[in-house]
Amino acid sequence: MNKRSFKRGLKGFWWLTMAFMYLPLAVVMLFSFNAANSAAHFTGFSLRWYTKLLANQEIINAIGNTLVLAIVSSVIALVIGCLIGYGMYRHRHRKLGWLIILIYLPIVLPDIVFGISEMAFFVQIHQLTGFLKPGLGTMIIAHVTFEIPFVALIVYSRFVGLDPTLFEAAKDLYATPFKRVMHFMLPTIKPALISAFFLSFTLSVDDFVISFFTSGPESATLPIYIWSAIKKGISPEINAIATLMIGAVALAAIMSLLLSRRRAA
Amino acid sequence: MSTSDTRIPTRQRAVANAGGAAVSTRSRAMVMEARHLLFTVSPGAAWIIVFLVLPSVYLMAVAFMSNGPYGLPQMPLSVDSFKQLSGFGFLGWSPGNLYTLLRSLWQTFLSTVLVVIVAYPIAYYITTCREKWRPIMLLAVVVPSWTNQVIRTFGWMNLLAPNTPLSDLASTLGLISPNMGLYPSNFAVTLGLVYNFLPFMVLPLYAAFEKLDTAQVEAAQDLYASPLKAFWHAVFPQTLPGLLAGVVLVAIPAFGMYVIPELLGGGKGMMLGNLVATQFSGGSNWPLGAAGAILMLIATFIGLFAMRRIGKRLGGGEEVVI
Repeated sequence: MNKRSFKRGLKGFWWLTMAFMYLPLAVVMLFSFNAANSAAHFTGFSLRWYTKLLANQEIINAIGNTLVLAIVSSVIALVIGCLIGYGMYRHRHRKLGWLIILIYLPIVLPDIVFGISEMAFFVQIHQLTGFLKPGLGTMIIAHVTFEIPFVALIVYSRFVGLDPTLFEAAKDLYATPFKRVMHFMLPTIKPALISAFFLSFTLSVDDFVISFFTSGPESATLPIYIWSAIKKGISPEINAIATLMIGAVALAAIMSLLLSRRRAA
Repeated sequence: MSTSDTRIPTRQRAVANAGGAAVSTRSRAMVMEARHLLFTVSPGAAWIIVFLVLPSVYLMAVAFMSNGPYGLPQMPLSVDSFKQLSGFGFLGWSPGNLYTLLRSLWQTFLSTVLVVIVAYPIAYYITTCREKWRPIMLLAVVVPSWTNQVIRTFGWMNLLAPNTPLSDLASTLGLISPNMGLYPSNFAVTLGLVYNFLPFMVLPLYAAFEKLDTAQVEAAQDLYASPLKAFWHAVFPQTLPGLLAGVVLVAIPAFGMYVIPELLGGGKGMMLGNLVATQFSGGSNWPLGAAGAILMLIATFIGLFAMRRIGKRLGGGEEVVI
């Protein structure tokens, strides 16, 4: 086998794999514009599923829940995770092994075990005390839990990358702790905070399993709505919502590419 | 905030020097430091302990309780759930749960192997392309996994349904009976798993290929190694840490997968995650579900531990640290 045909073979394999990766998404997008009710045949272009979608109050609620959940949980996780990240950096000379294990726990725990233990716990607490009724509140708690580690690790690695003398310089200039935080710490870790927020937001929107088990009857998010629509029998509306979500992701991908280009330039 | 006061090594030293004026500021600094540590770390640590460690401990306790009305756990303690998990029921022993466990292990193994087979050439191909294209190519691999898992699996349901080109092809070849879809089936689950986890293998492998020391490959070629031998002795060992990291990222979540077998597997494609979930959502038997969750945790930690050990033995351990 000569080198050239090997390279050509690899190229073919790459495009085949790309087709494999994008085919399911393409099918969903195609059928969202289908005029017919059938999911098997494409009969013509139409926007009827999109207009139906806008009239569906359940879907509007699901979009609202998804956004509230993602934003609120990311903000809480950002504050708590940022503190941990900084603490880990400042006190890294101490034996913080237990803390590292604790932080990795939400990452390595299988989704399903995570979701189910939270659900069982919340249900039991609710029965005993009346607090923590399954709903948006419990979902936010669960999402904050799996977002904290990512925020903490991103903030920590940003601090590690900084010149330690910067911290002393800030102190030597008689800045009060509050001023140090506002004028030195926050501005220097701003990029880390932004990427941590977006990562948390994406993780939250992307999550299904943990949301599914910690949700209540009125707190369905988009993935949960789609899931139950699939379970009830496939409606072409799902294709339309899914297409909107794919569109949002594609937009985010292009934006991240442009941002990284600009940073590189 | 200066690093000098963070470097007091032990408490003993401060105690030994007690009495001097300089030392009292030192020990005050230490108290401040401890307070600082408490202030920064405790909210997050407390959050994870209250909302993750405690629920997990509770779940473990549930596994050792007996099954009450509505599937809720109740006293007295028992190991019935573990007996049931291994297949003992009212009607004697049945292999159903054992099959589910074996299917989970097999599906995990098969899909991991297939993911490696696809990801390895892809990761290599990206490194052979021009540098300005590489980030875009990596992004192209990763972007599908940013869409929700439920949506991606739904896409495969559309593709594998009856009377679609793929199903028609399969029935023409005599692989399935006419007018049947390719899902629900074990095949569909494997496909879904490979699809889902491919990016998680490509990324660490790409990182390994990018760092590849080509001098070793050239040395092998100079010594008249055949391409296959050069690959096996000069390339493969260098990519092994990346490969292992990928295996951790693929195999562990695949073993606990819930969405894909539920949508693409049907009743006969159930995996451990589905067994666990039905015990809770159907309200049928919490202790049994909790016992299944413990089994999953044990498998997860064995997997993580084994990979760490192998990674350390290879000396390239830093990439496998999870």
